Amino acid sequence: MTELLLQGLCITYGRRAAKGAAAVNDLDLQVPAGQLVSLLGPSGCGKTTTMRAVAGLLAPQAGRIVLGGEDITRTPAHRRDIGLVFQSYALFPHLSAFDNVAFGLRLRKVADAELRRRVDEALASVNLAELGARLPAQLSGGQQQRVALARAMVIRPRLLLLDEPLSNLDAALRLEMRAEVRRLQRSLGTTMLYVTHDQEEALALSDRIVVMRAGRIEQHAAPAELYERPATPFVAAFMGHENLFEWRDGHLHGPKGAVPLPLDGLAAARDGRFTHLAWRPTQVPVLAAAGDVDGAAAGADAAACALPGRVLARSYLGDAVQYLVDTTIGPVKGCGGPQSAWQEDDAVRVWLDPARAARLDGGRA
Amino acid sequence: MNRIAWPALAMLMLALVFLLGPFVVVFVAGFSGDETLAFPPRSWGWRWMAHVFTVEAFQRSFATSLVVGVGSTLAALALGVPVAYALARHRLPGQEVVRTVLTLPLVVPGIIVGLALLNHMVLVHDLPVRASLLVGHTALLLPYAVRVVSASLANLRPDIDDAAVTLGATRAQAFFKVVLPNIRGGIAAAAVLAFITSFNQVPVSLFLTGPGVSTLPIEMMAYMETSYDPSIAALSTILVVFTIAVVAATERLLGISRYV
Amino acid sequence: MTRRVAWGLLLPALAFVSLFFLAPVLALLAGAFKVEGGAGLANFVAFFAEPLHEQVYWRTLRIALLATLVSALVCYPAAMAMVRVPPPWRGLLTGLVILPLMVSPIARTYSWIVLLGRNGFANSLLVGTGVIDEPVTLLFTEGAVFVGLLQLMMPLMLVSLVSALENLPADVLAAAQTLGADRWQTFFRVTLPLTQEGLIIGGTLVFTGCVTAYITPALLGGPKVLMLETLLYQKVNVAADPTAASVIAVLLLVTTVAVNQGLRRVGSVRRRRGRGAEAAAPGTPAVVEGRA
Repeated sequence: MTELLLQGLCITYGRRAAKGAAAVNDLDLQVPAGQLVSLLGPSGCGKTTTMRAVAGLLAPQAGRIVLGGEDITRTPAHRRDIGLVFQSYALFPHLSAFDNVAFGLRLRKVADAELRRRVDEALASVNLAELGARLPAQLSGGQQQRVALARAMVIRPRLLLLDEPLSNLDAALRLEMRAEVRRLQRSLGTTMLYVTHDQEEALALSDRIVVMRAGRIEQHAAPAELYERPATPFVAAFMGHENLFEWRDGHLHGPKGAVPLPLDGLAAARDGRFTHLAWRPTQVPVLAAAGDVDGAAAGADAAACALPGRVLARSYLGDAVQYLVDTTIGPVKGCGGPQSAWQEDDAVRVWLDPARAARLDGGRA
Repeated sequence: MNRIAWPALAMLMLALVFLLGPFVVVFVAGFSGDETLAFPPRSWGWRWMAHVFTVEAFQRSFATSLVVGVGSTLAALALGVPVAYALARHRLPGQEVVRTVLTLPLVVPGIIVGLALLNHMVLVHDLPVRASLLVGHTALLLPYAVRVVSASLANLRPDIDDAAVTLGATRAQAFFKVVLPNIRGGIAAAAVLAFITSFNQVPVSLFLTGPGVSTLPIEMMAYMETSYDPSIAALSTILVVFTIAVVAATERLLGISRYV
Repeated sequence: MTRRVAWGLLLPALAFVSLFFLAPVLALLAGAFKVEGGAGLANFVAFFAEPLHEQVYWRTLRIALLATLVSALVCYPAAMAMVRVPPPWRGLLTGLVILPLMVSPIARTYSWIVLLGRNGFANSLLVGTGVIDEPVTLLFTEGAVFVGLLQLMMPLMLVSLVSALENLPADVLAAAQTLGADRWQTFFRVTLPLTQEGLIIGGTLVFTGCVTAYITPALLGGPKVLMLETLLYQKVNVAADPTAASVIAVLLLVTTVAVNQGLRRVGSVRRRRGRGAEAAAPGTPAVVEGRA
C-alpha cells in the first residue's frame, strides 16, 4: 500500500508553453495509501496532463512526484511500476486478451506456471475467464475495457491510474463497470487516482475528490462535503448548483435585479464570510402564486424568501418536474412534485430558502 | 512523448540527405560553364541552360511530350472518372475483378507494356507514333485517374446524389451539378499526377517512339549516349524546378496530398 | 444508379484496357510458350542454359533484395522519427520525401553519373585528397546500380512505414511503457508486429521496383552490368530475339506477382494466428505505385 504525493508540480507543453500558460500550475496533491481519489474537472483543466506526468509519459517542468516515500520524478516510465488504464484502452491489437494481460508479466520474466495462474485469475476477477483467446477486435467495448483493467492490475502496481476509463461505454455498462472498479479497489486495496469529467461518477467512486480548473485545484474534499458545501462558484456550478447568486448588503443579487433576503441566525452561525449563495434545482420548491409556504420555518421570513415569477419552461423528469421561472432577480430553476401541473406563462413562486443554500466564497480567482 | 530519439533523428537526416542530395548535385552541375561534365564544376554560367533551348531535338520532343501528356491525361480522366463514379455508387458483382483489371497497368512492368504494344498493336495495325504514344500513355494513366478520383468520391456522402434527385434532378444532372463540383479537387489532383507520370514516362515510350518523333526523356537518354556536356544536367535542373513549381502550386491551390 | 447504367460507365474504360493493354500483353507473354509443335517451356530452359542470362537473373534478384533490406533498416528509424515531428515541419518533410517520386527518374539517376563519373564528385574528392592517384571506375558497376536504385526506391519504403506508424492505435506505445517495456522491448514486441503490414507493402514496392527498373540500370549499369529489363531491351533492339524477350517478360511478371502474393500470404497467415497486424493496414498511396 503506497501513498502518492505531488509537490509543486508544474507542467507546460506545446502551444501553451509558447503563450506562457501552464497546463498544470503548482499542484499539491496527496493520495493516501489504499484510497481512491478522483481528479474531477472540465476538459482542459489539466487532470489528464497530471496523470500522464505521474505515469512518466510527460516530464514536469518543476515539482516532485513521490510514491511510497520514493522520489520518482526522474524515473523513466517503464520503471515506475505504475499501472495506467487508458481512455482508449490501448489494447495491443495483435495479441489475444490473455497475451495482453500477460504482457507486463512476461517483461518481468514471471515463470510460466505462475504467469498462467495470475493471468487466469486476473481475467476471472473481471468476469472474462472464458474469453482469453479472443483478439481485442473480437471483444465488445465493455469487455475491452475490462481487459485493459486486468492488464494494468495483474502486475500489482504500487499505484493505479485510470484516465476516464468508462467514458466510451454506454450508460448501463458504465454503471456496471463503476461498481466493478469500486469492488476491485476495495478488495485489493490498491491506491488509485481516477480522472473523470463526470461528477456523478466521482461522487460514487471516490474516497476524496479533487476538483481542478485551469491547472489548479479548486477544492479537495470528501464527496459529501463537496456535494453539500462547495467552496467556490465554479465548484458549485460544476456540482449542479444551477442557481448561483451574489449576496451582499442583505440582498440577493441576480442578473435582472436584487431582492432583500433575511438570513436570520443561520448566517451568523456559519463562520461568516461568504459572497454567494447557491441552490440546486431540487432545493428550490416551486409554489402556487399565493397561499402558505409549506414546510417553511415559522415566521414572516419564509414568505420573504418566496419570489414571485412566471414559468418560462417546463421539463418532466419522472421523479419531479423542473421549472425555469423568470423572477425579479433573474431566471431560477426549481422543482415541483411529479404531479405538479404548472404550464408556460403560469404565475408561480420559487422559494429560495437560505437554510438550504450552499454558501460560497467567490473571493478566490 | 515528444522527444525524438537521436539515433532515429540521425537516420532521418541521413535518409533526407541521400534522397535530396542528388538534386543539389544536378543543380550545381546544371550551372557549370565547363565543356564537359565535371564535378565540382571549374566554371559557372548559364550557357548550358541557354543551350538546351536551342537543341532542336529537345524542342521537338518537348512539344511531343506536352501533347501526349495533355492528351493522355484528358483521355484517362474521360475514361476513369465514370469508372470511379460507378464503382463508388453501385455495388457490382465482380467489381473487385474490374478494379484489378484497371489497376493492372500499374503492376505490369513498363517495358513489357511497351514491347507488347509495339509488337502486337502498333506493328499489327501500323499506327502512327503519336497515336501509339497517346494510347499507351492513356492505358498507363487510367489507374491513377481511377484511384485518385475514387479517393475523392469516398469522402463524399452518397446521400447528396439522392438529395438532388428528390429535389427534381435527373441522375445525370445530379452528377454534373452536385457531384462534379465537389470532386473538382480530386480530379485536378489526378490530372496533375497523371500529367507528371506521362511526362516522365520512359519504358513504354522507349518502344513506341520512332525516328523523328520522340518524347523528351527518350531524347535526353539518347543525347547522353553521344555527348558528355552538362546539357542534361541543365535540362534536368529546369525540369526539377518546373516539377517542384507545379506540385507546390497544386498543393497550395488544391491540397493534392489529401488524395495521394 | 441502375446496374445497366453502372456497367455503361465502366465499359469504355474496360474495353480500352482490354484492347490496348491486356490483349497485347497477353500476346507477348504467350510468345514465350510457343514451341515447335505447340506450347511448352523449352524456351525457358534454353534461356537459362546461357550462363549470361542466369547471371543477369540472379544479379537482379540480389540487388533488389539488398536494396529492400537496406531501405528497411534505414527507413524504420527514419519513419519513427518522422511521425514525431510536429506540424508544420511535418508537412514540409512529407513534401520533401514525396518530391523525388514526382521528378523525372532520368534527372535523379543522372545525379549519380555526375557523382560517380571519372570526372565526377567522388573521384575528384578521392584524387584531390590523395587517397588514390587515378580516377577509379565507379560507374557501370553493380555498386552504382545498387546505389541508384536504393535512392529511387527508398521514398516508397519511407512513405509506407510512416503510414503504418500513423495507424497505430492511440496510446499503445505508452501502454507498453507503463507495463514496463523499455525502448527496444516496445519496438520488438509492439511496434514491429503492428506495423509489419506497412513493412511488407514497402518491401514489396521496393523489391518489385528494383526488379522491374530500366532507367537506372541502363544509365548506371550499361551493357556490362545488365539487369533483367536492360537485357530485355538488348534482346529486342540488338539481338532481335523476340522469343527471349518474351521469356524475360514472363520471368519479370512471374517474379513480381510471386513476391506480391507471397508476402501478402505471410501477412495474412500471421494475422490469422493472432500475431498479425490488425490495425495497421494502410492503403497504398496512389503516387507510390508504378514508379521506376
